[in-house]
Amino acid sequence: MSATLWFVIRRTLQIVPVVLAIAALNFLLLHLAPGDAADIIAAQSGGASAEFTAELRRSFGLDLPLYQQFFVYIGRLLTFDLGFSNVQHRPVFDLIAERVPATLLLMVVSIGFALLIGVALGIVSAMRHRSWVDSIVSVIALLVYATPQFWLGLMLIVLFSIMFGTLPSGGMMTIATDMSVWGRAVDIGRHLILPSITLALFYVAVYARLMRASMLEVYTFDFVTTARAKGLSEARVGLVHAASNALLPVITLAGVQVGHLLGGSILIETVFGWPGLGRLVFDALLQRDLNLLLGILFISSIVVVLANLAVDLLYGFLDPRIVHQ
Amino acid sequence: MKGFLHFWRRFRRNRAALVALFVLLAITLIAIVGPYVYTVDPFEMMGRASTPPSKRFWLGTDVSGRDMLAGLIHGARVSLLIGIAASLCATLVGLIVGATAGYYGRAVDNILMRCTDFFLTIPSFVLAVVLIAIFRPSVTNVTIAIGIVSWPPVARLVRAEFIAQREREYVLAARALGMSDIEIMIRQILPNALPPVIVVSSLLVATAILTESGLSFLGLSDPNVISWGYMIGVGRTVLRLAWWMPAIPGIAILVTVLCINLVGEGLNDALNPRVQRR
Amino acid sequence: MLKSVNSIALAATILTLTAGTALAQSCSKTGGTLTYVYHPEPTALSTIATSAVPVAIISTKIYESLLSYEGAEMTPKPSLAESWTISDDKLTYTFKLRHDVKWHDGKPFTAEDVKFSVEKIIRPYHSRGKVYFGDVASIDTPDPYTVVFKLKDPVPFFMNVFQPGEAPIMPKHAFDGVDLSTAGAVRKADIMQKPIGTGPFRFKEWRKGSDIILERNSDYWRKGHPCLDQVVLRVLPDGAARAIAVETGEVDLAPMSGLPEAEILRLSKLPQLETSKAGAEALGPNMWLEVNMREKPLSDVKVRQAISLVLDREKIVDVIWYGQGTPATGPIVSANPVFYNKALKPFEYNPKKANALLDEAGYKRGADGVRFKMSQNFLPYGENWVRLAEYVRQELGKVGIVVETQSLDLGGWLKAIYTDWNFNITSTFSHNYSDPSIGVERTFTSSNIKKGATFTNSMGYKNARVDELFAKAAREMDPKARKAQFDEIQQILHNDLPVIFLVELSYTHVWNKRIHGLITNGISMYSSWDSVWKD
Repeated sequence: MSATLWFVIRRTLQIVPVVLAIAALNFLLLHLAPGDAADIIAAQSGGASAEFTAELRRSFGLDLPLYQQFFVYIGRLLTFDLGFSNVQHRPVFDLIAERVPATLLLMVVSIGFALLIGVALGIVSAMRHRSWVDSIVSVIALLVYATPQFWLGLMLIVLFSIMFGTLPSGGMMTIATDMSVWGRAVDIGRHLILPSITLALFYVAVYARLMRASMLEVYTFDFVTTARAKGLSEARVGLVHAASNALLPVITLAGVQVGHLLGGSILIETVFGWPGLGRLVFDALLQRDLNLLLGILFISSIVVVLANLAVDLLYGFLDPRIVHQ
Repeated sequence: MKGFLHFWRRFRRNRAALVALFVLLAITLIAIVGPYVYTVDPFEMMGRASTPPSKRFWLGTDVSGRDMLAGLIHGARVSLLIGIAASLCATLVGLIVGATAGYYGRAVDNILMRCTDFFLTIPSFVLAVVLIAIFRPSVTNVTIAIGIVSWPPVARLVRAEFIAQREREYVLAARALGMSDIEIMIRQILPNALPPVIVVSSLLVATAILTESGLSFLGLSDPNVISWGYMIGVGRTVLRLAWWMPAIPGIAILVTVLCINLVGEGLNDALNPRVQRR
Repeated sequence: MLKSVNSIALAATILTLTAGTALAQSCSKTGGTLTYVYHPEPTALSTIATSAVPVAIISTKIYESLLSYEGAEMTPKPSLAESWTISDDKLTYTFKLRHDVKWHDGKPFTAEDVKFSVEKIIRPYHSRGKVYFGDVASIDTPDPYTVVFKLKDPVPFFMNVFQPGEAPIMPKHAFDGVDLSTAGAVRKADIMQKPIGTGPFRFKEWRKGSDIILERNSDYWRKGHPCLDQVVLRVLPDGAARAIAVETGEVDLAPMSGLPEAEILRLSKLPQLETSKAGAEALGPNMWLEVNMREKPLSDVKVRQAISLVLDREKIVDVIWYGQGTPATGPIVSANPVFYNKALKPFEYNPKKANALLDEAGYKRGADGVRFKMSQNFLPYGENWVRLAEYVRQELGKVGIVVETQSLDLGGWLKAIYTDWNFNITSTFSHNYSDPSIGVERTFTSSNIKKGATFTNSMGYKNARVDELFAKAAREMDPKARKAQFDEIQQILHNDLPVIFLVELSYTHVWNKRIHGLITNGISMYSSWDSVWKD
């Protein structure tokens, strides 16, 4: 156990330079963008004099040489200070913290849904290998792979909000403010259905196919043959022995795909007006809100790196070679 | 020629891939000659805005009264062009990075793979959005941006292949004969490592087309050409009044990407016989 | 407008007596909540931080200025100032303040707050502060309820600047401990997020990303007002969702073209809703193509006229802006009740003539039918602007001008157009504001050819006569003479085409008919709404 602990500590420490390097590269990359927040604020106020814009620039520290701005930024990061958004007039940390729940809700529900359905479909397809179920799942997976997610979202809106009128087309909750806690939860749940299905469907297909392939591979292993020889029912062999071992690559992939999911959420949040981080990234980019943008990229890279770490650690617990030694 | 026939015989066995190949060829043909046959300008405001499909406009008009069919045909060009070029770009970078890392190993490998990790840590779509916003959307820049965000998987695959091959006897023999590293990498190892790479880069075309459509939907597309993603974005504003407007270009994307994926699978069956299809 | 300034100056005492009756429309009904939708969300609750539209709408319910305004011609009426006198030389403005005004935190409002706000906050840190108060030599407060502005030179629009969004009076005591020497520190002050004003509504709650709730100020100086209990802003990012909320009655109002134009068109036909373009005359948004005149061929007026002739303004309004706008005739919008030059003729649409003009100018078609090539940019404010760029490219292509469109986001665009001047033509729009010396001058005088100043003379347009007229008008105290100066300016610009005037955009408001009394003046959405009532 102490060896495991030591491994965890070492891996966690390794993250620090990686994250700092990413932060540095983000900083340099974003400073290539033409124009800055001072220009944007002046423009949004209907235009301003050159002196006014220059004064803004000076008080935001945007007139400093790049290397100075860079050291200010890295210095702040080392004290876990994400800085102040000059466009939104608020601390970056607050802005991000506000959006995290919405994004987290959408992601957790989508990934959970995708894992549940995807794994189930994968198991069924593998156990009924080459049956009609298997074929249908394969065909659906192919179709889903080829569908632009945002377009799928639009089409679901057409179907369920416009034609049937059963589900809301966007936002996270209705406007009514007089709602009980329970009523609000149901309300958010209704708003969550379409975006989470849109986001999840692609991953359902991915996990279903991967689970199927992984199950079929596990079926060739000795311990499955042994289990069968012991006279265990096929269902028990499939579900208990094969499936639990076949889960490993699926979980690996789910962990690695956290970043991918975040990217996809820009589009989904745009389509459904979901008030999450994805949309915040895009707005911050267009408004040259560098501190905010750097803050989000910094946090998201930490999340991705941590997810990868978690996958590595899980490996230790789930690897069939360890389980069946 | 004999090799090709052999390949073709294997490819042909996958019926779905065969059909998909023909559909894809048809789409490519439309993309190449379509604009000369159906000469309507996709940017010309021809009729009333937002009309449903009719005799005059087979697929209806968009919010500016422009012919959707013309947009679809011209859009095919942009989508395929960006898809293929971005995939080639990513494959090339992936090949160079992966081959170098895999062949030399050790420090070189370590450095190159950490770079690859960096690109895998920033969500690829976010990175593409950032790159295009910075370098402004044009067909070239969009292609390069998609290429930049999609090479890491290729690099990892190529690296694995090169690691597997580099200690093989034929490589050792070539080295004994005094061949240079570059020569060994290109002449000797690459041909053996290529089949899985071809499959991956064919699938990358599909991903690139999807990415391009997402970028265009966000307004990050070259304003001088019409693309399918852009058409969806335009149609979105009138979703409630004219649902077919975003639906039609979306179906075009779906069919194209589906065909590319199927052909990719067919290629996989034909090129990598050792991997049995399950 | 100036007429009213003068008459008020003479009749200041009478006005004091009649102030109560002049604004006597009492509430027909009290109570209820007005909910309006807008997107994007305000980034602050003070126009000092930014006077962007969403901020201006909400903060003008909380903050007031010395005056309020009536009608499209913006006649000054009492607000925090109950009366005023203007000296004969038009250099001294004396405002008598109300005695019964309290800040939302209960502290009394005095002349010190006015002096502080103008000197320390508005003049240095409001984006137009220097335009408004640059000529103020001193501000004196002889007693707690008297403020005297002494000007260096006469400012004909001085009575126009005391609008709640443009010159909000802020509580001096709320800035205790705030470093007033830098814009950054002022913008970070607590009060930017948690406002303390004197207005009819006080700040209650801001649920970020969702809504802002303002509640009735029960201590409001205007007895019996406001009529409403609450004003609520709902932030809904999706345009279609905003439209549905208005349609179903979930919200009462979508101000300032807060809905997609296609949806406005649809909603305007519904019986329960009212749609109006009125109430934004003092903003006067005007859209045009800015032309970089530093190089040939665009330096040639014939080429610019040809470009103008090729563009069908009716079509741009109808097809691209879904009917929300009016073809423009010059720099001042036709809805401006005071300064618009009615003699201006509509711009002609005549591609044939354009071809002839281009031939005449020496830009003959080459063998490939091309006369010359150029690039265009567009204001990145959404889909309509992209479609406008596509239309411009298409139509210019027909007369042999090959246009390549470059897409830049706002940061890149501002830099290319107003800092680097690196463009050929670009679409943009600008506000007239309440006076041409404030909103129009900045685009067309040669003194405004300044790198780094957004929405200025990016064209490099120099016309000595225009410069002279603007300079005169900025000091002209005779309304008639001033009107004549602006008329001449409009005619010159109409002919010179330093920009290709295209469309007077409209700020269309859509509201439920149960809401009454919204449109009161030329900036109705930036007014206090103290008499707005709900059925």
